[in-house]
Amino acid sequence: MAQKITILLFFSLFICFASLGQSKVYFNQTELGFLLGKRAEQMTGQKENRIDISFITFHGVRINPNHVIGFSVGLDQYEDISIIPIALGWRGFLGQEGKSRIFAGLDIGGGSALLEKKTETEWNKNWYEGGHLISPSLGASFPSKKGKSTLTLSFAYKHQQFSELAGTFASPGSTQIQSDDLPPGFSSFFENNYLFRSFVFRAGLMF
Amino acid sequence: MKYFILPKSILLLLTVMVFFSCQDELTTTYTYRTMLPVYLEMSDIRARVISTEPAKPLDNPGKIYIYKDYLFINEPTKGIHILNNSNPSNPTNLSFIPIAGNIDMAVNGDILYADNYVDLLAFDISNINDIKLVKRVEDVFTHMYRHDTGEVITFKDTVITSDNPMWHREGTWFMDASMSFSSNFSAASKSYGVGGSMARFTLSSGHLYAVDESTLRVFNVENADDPNFVKPIDLGWGIETIFPFEDKLFIGSNVGMHIYDASTPSSPTRMSVYEHVQACDPVVVNSEYAFVTLRNGNACWNGVNELQVINIKDPYRPYMMEQYPMQNPHGLGLAGDFLFIAEGSYGLKSFNVSDVLAIDQNQLEFLTDQKSVDLIPGPKSLIVIGPDGVCQFDYSKPSQLKKLSCIQVSNPVNVY
Repeated sequence: MAQKITILLFFSLFICFASLGQSKVYFNQTELGFLLGKRAEQMTGQKENRIDISFITFHGVRINPNHVIGFSVGLDQYEDISIIPIALGWRGFLGQEGKSRIFAGLDIGGGSALLEKKTETEWNKNWYEGGHLISPSLGASFPSKKGKSTLTLSFAYKHQQFSELAGTFASPGSTQIQSDDLPPGFSSFFENNYLFRSFVFRAGLMF
Repeated sequence: MKYFILPKSILLLLTVMVFFSCQDELTTTYTYRTMLPVYLEMSDIRARVISTEPAKPLDNPGKIYIYKDYLFINEPTKGIHILNNSNPSNPTNLSFIPIAGNIDMAVNGDILYADNYVDLLAFDISNINDIKLVKRVEDVFTHMYRHDTGEVITFKDTVITSDNPMWHREGTWFMDASMSFSSNFSAASKSYGVGGSMARFTLSSGHLYAVDESTLRVFNVENADDPNFVKPIDLGWGIETIFPFEDKLFIGSNVGMHIYDASTPSSPTRMSVYEHVQACDPVVVNSEYAFVTLRNGNACWNGVNELQVINIKDPYRPYMMEQYPMQNPHGLGLAGDFLFIAEGSYGLKSFNVSDVLAIDQNQLEFLTDQKSVDLIPGPKSLIVIGPDGVCQFDYSKPSQLKKLSCIQVSNPVNVY
């Protein structure tokens, strides 16, 4: 998993540096931080806290001095589940350019389970599917002395859906029962549908 | 503008954070096939008038019976389709006899026998456009009775979604798709039954033999329109198929092939059991040899794909003579010296078996594009059952099989 994170970080940083020389129309916000939440209630009634890692890079276009629209990609590591969030986003700023400002943001999109391993045997199949993502955020930016990039601290709420699916194949030659609930070719089907609700704390750079 | 949007955003964010305390949610659902029991009163079933209905499209055909120029195709648990097959290149669907609980049939002269849950029905089919029920023999397949009150239990294939991980609920049975109530009786399972609990019919020497999972039931049908139940004969557990040849009955069970002497038709007696063949291994027989296909990938776990030739000249001491590797052999059919083998997704083969020690050197035809699971060599055509439906071939030249027609089936058998 560490390897996956490294690859993604390098990829994102490459995009960031590649775009450094561009005009001020382009906007980038890259942050790393934590997802804080409580796990779903267990059978025993126990509620455990969780702390996970979140990485996000937002690429946008300034439509006026205080508003940016664009898209974000990243990596959220919920314990042993890796989700790649891909969302359309907005950032709005309050305060004078070149000075410390507060900003708000909203990202709406989906999380991909591309990094999760599918397993398939002669008898069954296990796989994962991502789901919708909503993340409003609030933060503050502090320009560096050289003025090229800006340090950011932000807080966000992240609502991420994710499904774990497993099915047992119907025996070859058996007849199918027409049903919307059972995908064709399966005799039984199991679905764990997660809704992760996290409080996010991140720090990073924007320029 | 900026002063207007930002306080609103902050307010929205705070609202979200307050109202959602960041507790994750997990919902788990289990979806599975099951059989729901359906309880029926035999008195209600007997009260229904059975009359021929207009033709219906074939859904999931079961046993196929050839009678004169007609094909009778069973729709398991629902009834019997009647098709005019005077021209095998263009069979036409004529009508449908709705018989609830029907699994098997046999034709003796102009009388059609069919099971109707616990009863045996006899229809006069001498005029195919005016089929009449002439006799109902009541309470013969009594193993279907749930108790003595005249109530039978049957099952409906159902898909259930629940949040309960217990895959067994009161009144339901968790099942694998192969246990499907109706698919147990589909065409593909005819030769290598997946375990049915209802009758399987065969006619021999003026007697109708019906086997269920443990019993052979003998009916005297010397008077075709007046079948009479003679007696039940206990066979032991796991009986699935019955194949008559001359005065013998070859009965497939989970543990082997029973050979019964039926020279006294009302009272067959066991001659031997050949234990190396299982019920899911289709068998055809001539006067000297039994041909059996064993294959990998089905419930019987044979571990091999081959054709075996069993010498049955002495029915008390059957033994294996020869075995030939095959690709994935399913059903097979014998017509004189010619043997036809359904090779699953590999195709359809024909052999000359006049020399049983050199069958592999006498392969006549191999149609690789004809996926097939079972076949019946009929008087006019070779009927091949597979994913394409019910197809017919001209097999007057076994080395040059010629496709005549395919009957469309809405839920055809899959190759497995």
